[in-house]
Amino acid sequence: MTALLEVEDLRTSFKVESGRFQAVDGIDLRLEAGRTLGVVGESGCGKSVTALSIMGLVASPPGEVAAAKIRFEGRDLLALSADAMRDLRGDRLAMIFQEPMTSLNPAFTVGDQIAEAIQRHRGLDRAAAWARAVEMLRRVHIPAAEARAHDYPHKLSGGMRQRVMIAMALALDPKLLIADEPTTALDVTVQAQILDLLRRLRAESGMAILIITHDLGVIAELADDVTVMYAGKVVERAPVEALFEAPQHPYTIGLLGSIPRLEREQARLDAIEGVVPNPLSPPAGCRFHPRCPFAEARCREAEPGLGPVGPSHFAACWRTPLP
Amino acid sequence: MMTFLVRRLAIILPTLVFVSFIIFGLQQLLPGDPALAMAGEERDPDAIAHIRKTLRLDEPIAMRYAYWMAGVVQGDLGISLRIQKPVGELVLQKLPVTLQLAAMAMLVALLIGIPMGMLSAVKNGSAWDYGANVIALWGLSTPNFWLGIMMILLFSVELGWLPASGYVPPAEGLGANLAAMVMPAFVLGNAIAAVMMRHTRSAMLQVLSSDYVRTARAKGLYERAVIGKHAWRNASIPVITLGALEFGQLLSGAVLTEQVFSIPGFGKLIVDAVFNRDYAVVQGVVLCTASAYILLNFLADIAYMLVNPRLRS
Repeated sequence: MTALLEVEDLRTSFKVESGRFQAVDGIDLRLEAGRTLGVVGESGCGKSVTALSIMGLVASPPGEVAAAKIRFEGRDLLALSADAMRDLRGDRLAMIFQEPMTSLNPAFTVGDQIAEAIQRHRGLDRAAAWARAVEMLRRVHIPAAEARAHDYPHKLSGGMRQRVMIAMALALDPKLLIADEPTTALDVTVQAQILDLLRRLRAESGMAILIITHDLGVIAELADDVTVMYAGKVVERAPVEALFEAPQHPYTIGLLGSIPRLEREQARLDAIEGVVPNPLSPPAGCRFHPRCPFAEARCREAEPGLGPVGPSHFAACWRTPLP
Repeated sequence: MMTFLVRRLAIILPTLVFVSFIIFGLQQLLPGDPALAMAGEERDPDAIAHIRKTLRLDEPIAMRYAYWMAGVVQGDLGISLRIQKPVGELVLQKLPVTLQLAAMAMLVALLIGIPMGMLSAVKNGSAWDYGANVIALWGLSTPNFWLGIMMILLFSVELGWLPASGYVPPAEGLGANLAAMVMPAFVLGNAIAAVMMRHTRSAMLQVLSSDYVRTARAKGLYERAVIGKHAWRNASIPVITLGALEFGQLLSGAVLTEQVFSIPGFGKLIVDAVFNRDYAVVQGVVLCTASAYILLNFLADIAYMLVNPRLRS
């Protein structure tokens, strides 16, 4: 089966004063139609830059996106002209962001901001686009949608604004929704509602979701497959059950150890010692070795490749068992 | 929304009263005695005493203020000591000139400053950006009177395209009127355009890196909608403030530029009045321009509300 989205050897870097900062350093992603792929990692691991690279939203300069392949619906996005990419964006390929408070324009009504995308891509007249915008607000369960469409963003709560963002992203029935930390800025109860909404909309529309988060709870709720990123690289890739049951990379094990669990008595949570390496001068060998409790001599010298550790399960660690 | 406007309106009156105190008070600090100035060479003590009496100069300052204000609220700004004409009439005579010059200069400033600021923000770091900044620096550092003289030399003396100086009322020929005004308007507008450009640029740079601009791009909007609608609407707020302030500045008279081009506006009126100790004219003109300033700020507040929905609720 051909994948909806295939990313091979994506490298995104930014020019900074002291040189080039390699935010994403050769990652591969594959997502089939209707499936949900979770990308997980700490702040600064390159997961958001990965999303922006796929969307073609990395500003250049200072950014530079290179890849062996970014294919979406069989089309090579890197070869597309800026205009063709613009036609795709917001239509077949949509994105929602982490900060619903700042991601909506304060100067326009929410109805206007949804309708303008519809007008842009479908060429509908104002009234038809507005009607569609109201219908979308209803689909994301915003009460009194007709009235709310005339509201400015500052009148809505964070959860309501994220619903508006989702309505805007899904207004044109995209095949792929990229959700970058969609629940991070929200209260816990609202987080659950938004995840629930995303699940329901995914079932209704059959879209695929690329969800980017630092929160393994979100991954467990939504994802079919998981890619774990560390310092610009993929360190583990697995179906969601396999990842939670038998994580192979020490970093993934560390991430799972820092989640509180009800069924286990724990005096304190395990934290991963140390901090994310400086991306301007990553450590030699495995990038995780300075923080890894299992690190040995060869980890400091050579970088391990992503190797199979089980069915559809890969990890980049010298110590994982060979199949 | 209404409460915002009412509150704004409510502070206008106390502000005006305060301004009138200042105008009247500072006036008293000016050296020189109008009675002496009017009495001429003879300095006849009787004549001076008579002038003092008719002008009420021998009364306490509070009383003189009260007489002045009583006239002002009835629309009577007093009589010019020098030309013996009502100050109101003089102001009304000069106002259209100053208003036209200010409006034309503002138009020049907006037409140059805003597009250039937007261009240099959108093309940040490019040759366009550097070029626009060099032009802005040139505009900021060129003295108005010098630019005026150079333009006269080029367009009037060398090329003979435009009149070197003077003013033609629009009623006597719109073409001649515009020909006389275009150079002074450009000189004044050029300096303001530079400030406008810098402010537009920094406001746009800030807005262009905001999340909602990224959202607009993620929707696949054309760049002209991203820049012209989503970014500019938010970046225009500081530019409106600046525009109102600069326009007020222009209304208070462009002394040097009016001098260079011999334009009979507020600037010339007030300079002549100060030199001749013509108290009534100075007070009247300053009060009018201060009122215009306050009115413009009020209009800017209304413009904010139209642009920024958060102020409307």
